[in-house]
Amino acid sequence: MNLKDPTASSMDTVETPDIKHINGQDLKKLVDASISWLRSNQQLVNSLNVFPVPDGDTGTNMLLTMQSAWNEIAEMDDLKIGRMAHAVSQGALMGARGNSGVILSQLWRGFARVLDDLDYMDSKIFVAAINESRNTAYKGVVRPVEGTILTVAKDIAAAVEISSEKTDNLFAILKDLVKAADVSVQHTPELLPILKQAGVVDSGGKGLYFLFEGMLRFLEGQSLEASATAIQPLATMDLSHILTEIEPGQDYEVVIDFQPKKDFQLDTFYENLSKIGTSIQIGEGDDMYRMHIHVPTDKRYDPIDYTMTQGMVTKIAIENLIDQMQELGKSKNHKLEFAEVKPGQVAVVTISPGVGISRIFASLGVSAIVEGGQTMNPSTEEILKAVNDLPTDKVIILPNNKNIILAAQSAASMATKTVRVVASKSIPQGLSAILRLDPDGDIEDLTKKMEDSLGEVETGEITTATRSVEINGVNVKEGQVIVLHNGELIGSFANLKDAFFEFLSRAGVEERERITFFYGINIEKPAVDDLAKLVHERYPHHEIEIHEGGQPHYQFIISLE
Amino acid sequence: MSESDTSLGHIYISHHAIATIASQSALESYGVVGLATKNLVKGIERLLTGDPSSGVEVVYDGHSLQIDIYIIVEYGTRIKSVATSVSESIRYQLEKMLVIPVTAVNVHVRGLRISNPD
Repeated sequence: MNLKDPTASSMDTVETPDIKHINGQDLKKLVDASISWLRSNQQLVNSLNVFPVPDGDTGTNMLLTMQSAWNEIAEMDDLKIGRMAHAVSQGALMGARGNSGVILSQLWRGFARVLDDLDYMDSKIFVAAINESRNTAYKGVVRPVEGTILTVAKDIAAAVEISSEKTDNLFAILKDLVKAADVSVQHTPELLPILKQAGVVDSGGKGLYFLFEGMLRFLEGQSLEASATAIQPLATMDLSHILTEIEPGQDYEVVIDFQPKKDFQLDTFYENLSKIGTSIQIGEGDDMYRMHIHVPTDKRYDPIDYTMTQGMVTKIAIENLIDQMQELGKSKNHKLEFAEVKPGQVAVVTISPGVGISRIFASLGVSAIVEGGQTMNPSTEEILKAVNDLPTDKVIILPNNKNIILAAQSAASMATKTVRVVASKSIPQGLSAILRLDPDGDIEDLTKKMEDSLGEVETGEITTATRSVEINGVNVKEGQVIVLHNGELIGSFANLKDAFFEFLSRAGVEERERITFFYGINIEKPAVDDLAKLVHERYPHHEIEIHEGGQPHYQFIISLE
Repeated sequence: MSESDTSLGHIYISHHAIATIASQSALESYGVVGLATKNLVKGIERLLTGDPSSGVEVVYDGHSLQIDIYIIVEYGTRIKSVATSVSESIRYQLEKMLVIPVTAVNVHVRGLRISNPD
């Protein structure tokens, strides 16, 4: 539709849009649509963050920036696009939040500069304005990081240039722009390794994509409400919890990785899948999608056949859930059930080297566990993530290993929550500390009590020497059994039994009441029982407890209380 | 396995190295177009290209770091947001690379560069 009066709106009631000009009021509608669509996808954009910084919610930051732009133009009835664009730019500048918000305001600033005080915009001016927005954005940083919103702005500018040579229909150009933005966003992990590691695309780039996609959806008459289909980054897709219970008709689990074809429609895909099965999840990652579904036996191949019509299938995994559930029931590897914590309560995060120990910690009221221990220290980020994921702002960390204390302390200092580290150096110390937990107590008070409890337990660790060495005057030969008492090497022995008794006598077992063993994955249960029998014969008045610790390297972790 | 053999020696990190991390993070932050020395010669900010650590002051008290950084910001950006991002990114990078807590990052905006007068 080529309107005679170029200042009049050309966007109302257009069925097959052919838009040659856009005026100020049109721009206002487009901005409104882009904000609505970004709002619908705000959480998705937020979930793409990889930097654990406090104001890191890119989706929220971009939305607030655009909201401020909207406040500036909400009452404007100007027909001049130049004035409207300048107002948007001004509003975005005033409300710019976070890195992506500042870049977004710069993009608008460049855009508005080209529109100057024009009445309307045609395709040539649009291309020039998009170009200038890229230039302005790049001028604002010395060392532009590629694989971010800047890269997407650059790719968009290149795409509209090409598109405008073929057509002067702004709708067609916008369509090409959105396509290019999508491709560019999907490509960001190739340019920025940290994104690839996290299995996500760039959040700012994705936010920019949604702003333009919102405009396009508005012109196409599509809904700007959140689509019912929740799509998530692959990294956050947790398929393990789905296994804990299954309902009738969920006999098989099918997981398919695929590269969607060009005209792939997420909504249709989801809808068709829901006719086949349940528990549908769709994840989006590095240039690919992953779908997950539960189906009855007779339909187990249907999702594969269907997905193959929707793109190139790269990987398929089918598992028999009924069989798996029976297996799960047999082994003790049930998903751990952690203590629920309410906002305001004190939660405990602990580091555990094995499933058995994790289970004991969970039963004692720990709210989250980070796996790690000797030779597999967890990173500050992993600990920080566990702290941040809890719904409360008061958290105590029990590192349970002297090499992890520093990482725990650094996580505590980076967290915006109130976090205390009780420097437990061993599993027995950690267990002793957790017994003092009172979720409704005062965090400082609890920290003090837990710290005091660390001295009330003697820790023994028994392992096999991996090399010959002399430490603390103790000569150790490779393959011998060595014992540590509260972290100090006390001796090296030919067999487990001698090592065990040496520890007990050195640690002052006579003054203690209870001996607890946590046996590791490198020792068989009968050997453990034999040893326990010997211990009982020698110390008949002591209470003896045996737990499967599941830790690697250490045959035994022993606690004396 | 014991205390003594874990001590392989000491690790020293110079202020210069720490300052380099801070200035690199600042320069990758959006809106920062340069660093400035603290002492201005005849009131003219000098855009630095050479030494990667000038424009940064590092104070270490034995436990934690305090950083002062002197930046030049692109005219037309929201200075508060730029400064906040700089501060967060410096803190994040330092704590990630050094595992030393950072108590304060003071961002001093010493000037604005006008590349596009509106």
